[in-house]
Amino acid sequence: MAPALEIKNLRKEYDSAVAVNDISFTIKPGEFFGFLGPNGAGKTTTIHCITGVAHITSGNIRMYGHDVVNDYREARRQVGLAPQEFNVDIFCHVWDILDYVGGFYGMPKLERKERIEYLLKRFNLTEHAKKEFRMLSGGLKRRVMLARAMVHNPPLLILDEPTAGVDVELRHMLWNYLRELNKEGKTILLTSHYLEEVELLCNRVAIIHKGSIAAIDDISAFLKDGKRLEHVYLEITGNKTQET
Amino acid sequence: MNIIGLWTFVRRELGRFSRVAVQTLITPWISALLYIFVFGRIVGSRIDTIEGVEYIDFVLPGILMMNIIMGAFMQTSFSLYFQRFARHIEEVLIAPLAYWEMIIGHIMGGVLRAIVVGAGIYIIAILFSAASFIHVGLFIFYALSVAVLFSLIGLLVGLWAQNFEQLNVLNTFVIMPLSFLGGMFNSIGMLPLFLQKFVLFNPFFYFIDGIRYAMIGVREANTGMGIFVIVGSLLVLGGLLWHLFRVGYHLRV
Repeated sequence: MAPALEIKNLRKEYDSAVAVNDISFTIKPGEFFGFLGPNGAGKTTTIHCITGVAHITSGNIRMYGHDVVNDYREARRQVGLAPQEFNVDIFCHVWDILDYVGGFYGMPKLERKERIEYLLKRFNLTEHAKKEFRMLSGGLKRRVMLARAMVHNPPLLILDEPTAGVDVELRHMLWNYLRELNKEGKTILLTSHYLEEVELLCNRVAIIHKGSIAAIDDISAFLKDGKRLEHVYLEITGNKTQET
Repeated sequence: MNIIGLWTFVRRELGRFSRVAVQTLITPWISALLYIFVFGRIVGSRIDTIEGVEYIDFVLPGILMMNIIMGAFMQTSFSLYFQRFARHIEEVLIAPLAYWEMIIGHIMGGVLRAIVVGAGIYIIAILFSAASFIHVGLFIFYALSVAVLFSLIGLLVGLWAQNFEQLNVLNTFVIMPLSFLGGMFNSIGMLPLFLQKFVLFNPFFYFIDGIRYAMIGVREANTGMGIFVIVGSLLVLGGLLWHLFRVGYHLRV
């Protein structure tokens, strides 16, 4: 079976600045993959290259065997993205936000309706369906972003800091839901600054630092000898920072 | 082709201009009503016929065309710029939509708004007994092709603009002056001689003259030249826009 995500020699430059420098890694179907790194390390840029928000300077990316440039329609159907920022029409109603995205992915009306009703219920958003996005609290907005990523029921979910700024209740609800989705076979790429969250959920982790992959392994390898992920993370990113 | 995706574009654009209907529909209708009443009926009753027709009949096609132009232009320019500003253009960029589908989707939104605005003005004109069609096919051609043209121009401005003020630059410095100098309220024979020569290079003259000919059978321009200007502009602007979307100008980083 083709890898859920296969990145080969990805390089991304903004003018003369190199944001991602020749990175390669593969995520197998069904993996819960943690993608860590300090702010500005290249996590979001990599995600933008995967999803088509950013141009790829060189290298290639395939999702379930589909090239994200040459076979972009099929590649994009494989992935759902919940970005860090609320990139949404703030005057739009919650239902419409989900409905339009489902439509863009070519879902027929009835299928959209059923899926949206399910997601609204799953994220406790049903009573907010007819509210404008701007009227929601921060936690509710985050739920809408997650539901939006899942409208077309993609096999690969990319969640860019999905629990940033949310309360404990939602965080636990989300963890349980993500575990459930992963058990059902969904592949998940998660970025987070909460390393205990990554320890708890992910079975493999990559750490990106200054645009390059500094470490990639099973979570058990990072946690061997009783270490915490946070210690390993600081060793990798902290030491390298001191060297420069 | 992603038919459902395209239809979703149209639904979304329809929703966008419906939720601010006072700004997008009611305002141009009231404005047109006042133009028709004040210039067409009150002032027009004191003006002799122009090219053998009453002033209200002469002026209506110009008012209609200006509103078609403004409706299409405002819809696509504001829609695209606001998507870039709030970054929800990313919803579209990560979806399985081709560049040309994104362009067509926006154009359909612009044309739809122009049709709704234009239909409202036509109904107002009926109330003043000023609505007519002499050449229905030509009327449909001019109304739709000019709406598509200004949807394309709106998209170009929506892509280029870096702030809300820049969105209005083209309207203030190009669309409004060229509309008013393109024979919207007057025959070009009424203009000073040097302006009469300048008008021949003003594309708005051909748009207004074309729809006027389609509605009341009066024309001052060469209709073939008008069609050539419109079709040529559509091809050039369509190609340019497709290129800009393809390279991700101000869309993809």
